Amino acid sequence: MPDAASSFQRIPPDELAWLGTGPIPARAYHDPAYFELERQAVFLKSWIHVAHVCELPEPGCFVRRDLEFAKASLLIARGKDGVLRAFHNVCTHRGTQLVEEASGRQSKFTCPYHMWTYGADGALLSAPDFEAFHLDKPACALPRVALQECGGMLFVNFDPDAPPLRIWLGAYAERLEQMPAARATTFSQYSYEIDANWKLTYDNFQENYHLRFIHPRSGGAGIGGDNPFGYPASLGFDGPHRTQRIWSNPAPDLKPFQRAAAMRGLPAVAEQGLLDLPFGRDYLAFFPNLFVIGTPTQPFSHTVYPISADRSRGVVRLYWVGEDGNASTRFAREYALAQLRDIHCEDIAMIERGQKGLASGALDHIHFQSMEALCRHLFNEVDSRVQAHARALGERP
Amino acid sequence: MNQASTLPGGFSALEPFVAQWGLSGTARRAAQRTASSPEAREAFFEAASPLLEAALTWLDDRDLATLPPAGRRLMDLMLSLGHVALAVEIQGPDEVKSAVWRDRMRIDRSTADQGISSCSN
Ligand code: FES
Ligand SMILES: [Fe+2]
Repeated sequence: MPDAASSFQRIPPDELAWLGTGPIPARAYHDPAYFELERQAVFLKSWIHVAHVCELPEPGCFVRRDLEFAKASLLIARGKDGVLRAFHNVCTHRGTQLVEEASGRQSKFTCPYHMWTYGADGALLSAPDFEAFHLDKPACALPRVALQECGGMLFVNFDPDAPPLRIWLGAYAERLEQMPAARATTFSQYSYEIDANWKLTYDNFQENYHLRFIHPRSGGAGIGGDNPFGYPASLGFDGPHRTQRIWSNPAPDLKPFQRAAAMRGLPAVAEQGLLDLPFGRDYLAFFPNLFVIGTPTQPFSHTVYPISADRSRGVVRLYWVGEDGNASTRFAREYALAQLRDIHCEDIAMIERGQKGLASGALDHIHFQSMEALCRHLFNEVDSRVQAHARALGERP
Repeated sequence: MNQASTLPGGFSALEPFVAQWGLSGTARRAAQRTASSPEAREAFFEAASPLLEAALTWLDDRDLATLPPAGRRLMDLMLSLGHVALAVEIQGPDEVKSAVWRDRMRIDRSTADQGISSCSN
């Protein structure tokens, strides 16, 4: 048995050299022209996470999701037939946004302007004086956007020629189905807007190099011993997606109240079988902008939506099975949310500072070390799409 | 409402903290953490953290949905205590500088809040 104090084996840099070792062009993180290519080649062509099935349990349930990168508002609804669909939230008469509410349940959606009325399946049901239009009702259905589900997570794709979601997710589809989020019936959520590029923001959450400096107190339990940086135990790559297994600190420095709070949450997650799931130490990063963490006592997703080259919106959700069954569960869930929010607020401070530094164009390049391999992999995957798209357009990438 | 004993028996030591920390709503509790003084947080943490186990044990014997007002207040106090414990026990001297960033992360929804969404199951 290796003794607990020497449990960590650093991944040899040579194993990651296939990703490249050179500097990374800084303009990919601040240039509006690069962002426009990304928007077209990455965000309008990828499966983008937008919702979870637990938000739409019954026919007629809907959520509205505004996606800045597509300048689109989407209406995601469960039809009378039980099928989930996504539509542009736009009346087909003259384009008025159909739904203002963020979520709700109703069997019909009526445009306030001239009262065109649609079913939850998007079909035009009725329209005043419709005979005067010389139109067929079926031609006036709400415009569809592809929507597919894996592990409870709902994704949309604006590309009509997109491959099916499961093909896109590749080998990690099965892992996603074994995350606590796949069993979730509810969630807590916080969100933020940040003056920073989406990759700069997302990259912060896929490297551990900063943990000891930025989270010396809030993240103290994940660093220490022979792994002072809290580097991952393993890394993996599959197509554009990537994963890391979070290192298990054999002697985490938990404070007494912190320990008591965690213990209070354990019985419920044990009873739900979440402690037996195989990927409880894993972080799954789905290209381009979603990652999911399997930690049973703090299972969460984080999605970073781009707004512009230097502005993004982050959404963090803690996924739970069942409503708060008792006081201990309620307490542990709220503590888990507040603790995660403490860590993330330290991150966003540093991310905005990074964008401020890059904005002037003073740097031609930035640098990733081998333990920032996931950041490099994201850049590689984005850049290959941006370069190909620029070539197709005859533009300079 | 019985002003003389707003908390269940055995928890009267927490009466002085009810006005500041007996707040319903996760976002309101988080906001009070930021709005409060370090002295107020430390006093609450010192008085309430030894009672956490007893309070949760008392509450776990009861149905959350039908808690009487005194029980609800005790629940809210313990939920606030979680936020305060993060400030006092974990963040310590870092609490002040991170508070401004933390408030930028808006709490949109929490399982502890009732009637958060007509569609949540
Ligand atoms: S624009 Fe919607 S009914 Fe006319
Ligand atoms: Fe961080």
